[in-house]
Amino acid sequence: MSALNDGSSSPRSQHASRCFEDLLESIIVDVASECHRIARLGLDRNLEEEEEELRLSAQARVADPSSSGESNSKNVVDIFGQTHPAIASETFNCMNCGRPITAGRFAPHLEKCMGKGRKARTKATRSSTIARNRHSRGSPVTVYAPYSNATNSNRVPNGTTAGEEYTDYTFEEP
Amino acid sequence: MSSNSAADGTRPLRLPPPCSHLAAYRSCGGAAGGGGLRSLHRCLRRRPPLGRPEVRREPGEVPRCASCRRGGPRLYACLACAAVSCLHHAPDHASTPGHEIAVDVDRAELFCAACLDQVYDHDFDAAVVIALTTPAASRPPPPQPGSRAKRPRRVEYRPWAPDAPEWAVIGRRSSPLIVREGNASSSSTITTANSTAAAAAATSCATSSAPLPWGLRGLNNLGNTCFMNSVLQALLHTPLLRNYFLSDRHNRMVCQQKSRKKAYSKERSNARDATVGLQFCLACDLDAMYSAVFSGDRKPYSPAKFLYSWWRYASNLANYQQHDAHEFFICMLDGIHEKEQDPCKRPSHVSSGECCIAHRVFSGTLRSDVTCTMCGFTSTTYDPCVDISLDLDSKQDPTKVTGSKLHMNGGEANSMFASQTCGTSSLMECLERFTRPEKLGADQKLFCQHCQVRQESLKQMSIRKIPLVTCFHIKRFEHSSMRKMSRKVDQYLHFPFSLDLAPYLSSSILRARYGNRVFASSGDDSDTSIESISNLELFAVVTHSGKLDAGHYLTYLRLNSQWYRCDDAWITCVSERVVRASQAYMLFYVQKILYYKASENVVNS
Repeated sequence: MSALNDGSSSPRSQHASRCFEDLLESIIVDVASECHRIARLGLDRNLEEEEEELRLSAQARVADPSSSGESNSKNVVDIFGQTHPAIASETFNCMNCGRPITAGRFAPHLEKCMGKGRKARTKATRSSTIARNRHSRGSPVTVYAPYSNATNSNRVPNGTTAGEEYTDYTFEEP
Repeated sequence: MSSNSAADGTRPLRLPPPCSHLAAYRSCGGAAGGGGLRSLHRCLRRRPPLGRPEVRREPGEVPRCASCRRGGPRLYACLACAAVSCLHHAPDHASTPGHEIAVDVDRAELFCAACLDQVYDHDFDAAVVIALTTPAASRPPPPQPGSRAKRPRRVEYRPWAPDAPEWAVIGRRSSPLIVREGNASSSSTITTANSTAAAAAATSCATSSAPLPWGLRGLNNLGNTCFMNSVLQALLHTPLLRNYFLSDRHNRMVCQQKSRKKAYSKERSNARDATVGLQFCLACDLDAMYSAVFSGDRKPYSPAKFLYSWWRYASNLANYQQHDAHEFFICMLDGIHEKEQDPCKRPSHVSSGECCIAHRVFSGTLRSDVTCTMCGFTSTTYDPCVDISLDLDSKQDPTKVTGSKLHMNGGEANSMFASQTCGTSSLMECLERFTRPEKLGADQKLFCQHCQVRQESLKQMSIRKIPLVTCFHIKRFEHSSMRKMSRKVDQYLHFPFSLDLAPYLSSSILRARYGNRVFASSGDDSDTSIESISNLELFAVVTHSGKLDAGHYLTYLRLNSQWYRCDDAWITCVSERVVRASQAYMLFYVQKILYYKASENVVNS
């Protein structure tokens, strides 16, 4: 707000403008004084790095405004030269019921198998699970014993690693 | 540029050298009334009720320039004779030798009227702090930020290499991993049409000198489990966590055997049918996953056993539904904590991180200061945290007090301000908001110990201890129970690849509260060449794209200076730009430099 110099300013409006200017200057000097201290003490040391990072981000967004990099392109070849189907096709045995399940459908299966979730029946009791398992191939398995059958765990393709070669540790049968 | 640093990583402030006039004034040793600059605290006070420091004055007294009788915004009181001058007349007064140094009457800053510049002095700052310390506060602030904190004794890093007997043990107890690069032939899912693309893809990331990094392996989506996969990828490559599991610190075979023995003896005493109980342990499953992922096999891994264990642990989250990745992260850390804790050891506080690997890596400490707006009494509490959740709102919050954090913008000012109004923000802005003093509402009055009554209060958060790995959680999912709806905030957030948390540490916040006054260096910090530990480096970003209930999580990982996108089973190379432009949901930063603490325990071999 510049001072009115049209000659018609009354002493009151001159006084008001002087008050305003004093207030404005006071605020400016407040900020200047604080900034001066921050600069002299080196508290704004990282300003350049921060600005550089902001600039890089702005550049990155310009190059990729729609964030197209995020799209679910499942038809790509990964860095190891592999492609994968949209639904993971690996199969393994469910640790709960022992049935072979496709990886990509494991979660919905497990939800019903463990009796969780809205769509599942009431929580499976040991008796109902064993009754169900009698119809599946192989010997009946107990419900909550992941390591009960050493051969079962070895059939999980993901489990075979160098770490399993320990000979000092053996699985104890319950 | 080497610098001293306090235990929590802040560098003690160094004042610029005094101008010749200030130096001369100091050597003369006389302030008005004698006693040196430090004694000036008698002339200063905190502007009532709880304002900034200023020169004392009688009630109703308006300071005026001795020459022109004007009041005004810039008045300086000479330290030698207490004459007050405005900026215009100050140089005249300074022509008298010994009368160059003055104090800004309203701001309590030293001013050299000969140099026409603000100048700085330790003793004067100490005087200001003494004056600022209200009687209600009763105890003055610590003379050196962090000096009272118990500092762990730092030891120098000594590189270790196995000696001959240790080599023998290694030979007996391990088998070499065979690196199989370019798994094109072993994977049954590849089609011949893609073979050229496959070859190109395989070589695009792996340069002739740098093979593809260890531990990079896709994770199969088991059905809406990308929330789990994304966090697992970040954890699998969290440096300290990875090292812990790869050095066999949680051996799943031993753990299972131990818990089986315990259950068996319990079963025997209970004479119950031996179902061997629920021997699940999330740390064991994580151990198995580390072994699998770092085995060299590049076929995507199915974390099925892990999912099974996790569902048994967190039964309320056990359903075929997309979950929140952050919720899963917290749950996982809890799961590791529960199973990793040794009941024989005396329980240590979570913040010290001694209880389990999850806390040793992720646990930090937050400080919360609540100040009574009436009397200035501040009460402080410390709380451990495993992550820092930050709000994203672009709306201006009217209850937040504008703190003394000022953004000095150079030439970039215009563009930055423009972006602020458009609703983008940066991680630093979020942190600044997080550590800003917040005026609690009139309906949230807290009990003041000094006033002995509930008063309106100011609350301010700060970081007391930075964890080894800092996880920032960006609150993009708003659940309003009032409006019975949830929404996702898609607003872009800028995040740096290198982050300095120094301005958000408790010591810095405290110092700023006292106007960044510098106290006399007491020489506590003898660690002269230690770099600040507040410097962090980004290594993983969990992003969310899409809608609230129909979205997708994926993780960007930085390994050996190259960024990879981990999208369930698909691992691809990406440039830095793609990562910077992504929509960050969780950010994982690790301390650039790690220090070794002297061990209190004697390790039994």
